[in-house]
Amino acid sequence: MKKQKQNYSISHKKYLKSLLIKKVSIHISRILLLVLLLGAWELCASLNIIDPFITSSPSRIIKQISFLVQDGVLFHHSWVTLYETLLAFAISTIAGTLIALVLYIIPAVRKVLEPYLIILNSLPKIALGPLIIVWMGTGTKAIVMMGILICIIITTISMLNGYISVPKEKILLMKTMGASGFQILTRLVVPASFSDFISVLKINVGMSWVGVVMGEYLTSKAGLGYLIVYGGQVFKLDLVMSAIVVLCILAGLMYGLVALLEMYINKKRT
Amino acid sequence: MENLLEIQNVCLTYHSPASETEALKELNLSIKEGEFISIVGPSGCGKTTILSLIAGILKPTSGNIFIRGEKIEKPGFHTGYMFQRDNLFEWLNIWKNVTLGLNFKKRNNEENKSYAKELIEKYGLGEFIRHYPTELSGGMRQRVALIRTLCLKPDLLLLDEPFSALDYQTRLNVQDDVSLVIKKEKKTAILVTHDISEAIAMSSKIIVLTPRPATIKSIITLDFDPKLTPFERRKEKSFNTYFNKVWEELV
Repeated sequence: MKKQKQNYSISHKKYLKSLLIKKVSIHISRILLLVLLLGAWELCASLNIIDPFITSSPSRIIKQISFLVQDGVLFHHSWVTLYETLLAFAISTIAGTLIALVLYIIPAVRKVLEPYLIILNSLPKIALGPLIIVWMGTGTKAIVMMGILICIIITTISMLNGYISVPKEKILLMKTMGASGFQILTRLVVPASFSDFISVLKINVGMSWVGVVMGEYLTSKAGLGYLIVYGGQVFKLDLVMSAIVVLCILAGLMYGLVALLEMYINKKRT
Repeated sequence: MENLLEIQNVCLTYHSPASETEALKELNLSIKEGEFISIVGPSGCGKTTILSLIAGILKPTSGNIFIRGEKIEKPGFHTGYMFQRDNLFEWLNIWKNVTLGLNFKKRNNEENKSYAKELIEKYGLGEFIRHYPTELSGGMRQRVALIRTLCLKPDLLLLDEPFSALDYQTRLNVQDDVSLVIKKEKKTAILVTHDISEAIAMSSKIIVLTPRPATIKSIITLDFDPKLTPFERRKEKSFNTYFNKVWEELV
């Protein structure tokens, strides 16, 4: 749509201005909140109101992170976790979407598997941890498997619901126009479930990090989850906090990428 | 003249775990080329079922349906179906929506495409060809849906309450539009509706059905000046007479 540049009335200009002020003040408040929290934390720690040995402090975290960066270990640990997460994310998203498609195409299989899916979905996947380690060893494989287990069930269920909610009338329309089952799938069901796919991607960004860090708690020789566990065991809370900060940044970046992808594809489609 | 559509002794029974429902019983109907038939009847009497049978998406329990002498057993080239909602695909632009059906059954040739283009231009959608359904008004969307149906060149149009999702003013306009298009393209149509005045305004014959199991109660032939649009018909004196006649048949 073209942006109209016309002479707005005074009341409309006022309205636009108030909108802008609201938007800006929300952004300022967000930043202010962060600064305030960090400031209070730093102040309390430096005045020894709280024990920085237990609570750490922003300056100690920065010092720790820059130390880790100089050492070159931060990049290594981050990369290990990121790699595992991306792998779990990709495999579970693709596999879950395809499994859902198969379940959609063959209603009989869907009916049979329904209770199993429900039970698997409510099962705390961490309970499978020992089994995974015994079956897959203590390496990257086990950690990625943990990530996949956490994401794949919810991906399958969400995508299946997406496919099923395609309006019956549209399917009938395709049939009256002589479309084959495969054409109904590729021309209607899959593109119509696009928004469900994007929301699955967004859920999986969070879930794959959860799964992989959990996997690293169980068994790992490197990674941010490993740093957190190790830091906790040797009581280096600065290390724990630093790893958490890096996790926050990476997970935020990944979510941002998915949001960008969504914007890009939506733009292409309209 | 040979009948375009021939429905012979069609019965249909729906099965559900709780019961079986006889929807249609011994239905016989024939329609000639160029007729515009409306089907009215008490709600739930199986009006839509008749259209589904003619379109071949449902199979009759017994009896036969022929179009141009060919037995209908599955969806084919003969019929074009229009639903209550326009069912446009939001992710496709108007051109791709209109030509959607051409992709199936190898109809995507130049001749059909240029016919689609011609229809789009003729019925005032030319400048919206690259627009998306959300940018169009309800009336325009229904026109796109009609052109999508027409460009498959069906012998028989099946209209399943295609105006009932529109607001009243738009509905009157779209009725005029659709009626004009159907007349110009010389199509035969069956309209299912619960709106008596819509049936009188648009069709050449009204078929009144009985409550379930549906069978034909009466057929009312309408006699209007062929030049009148649906809206102009509503102003005719005979309009009210027909209305009362259909109303009496329904109660």
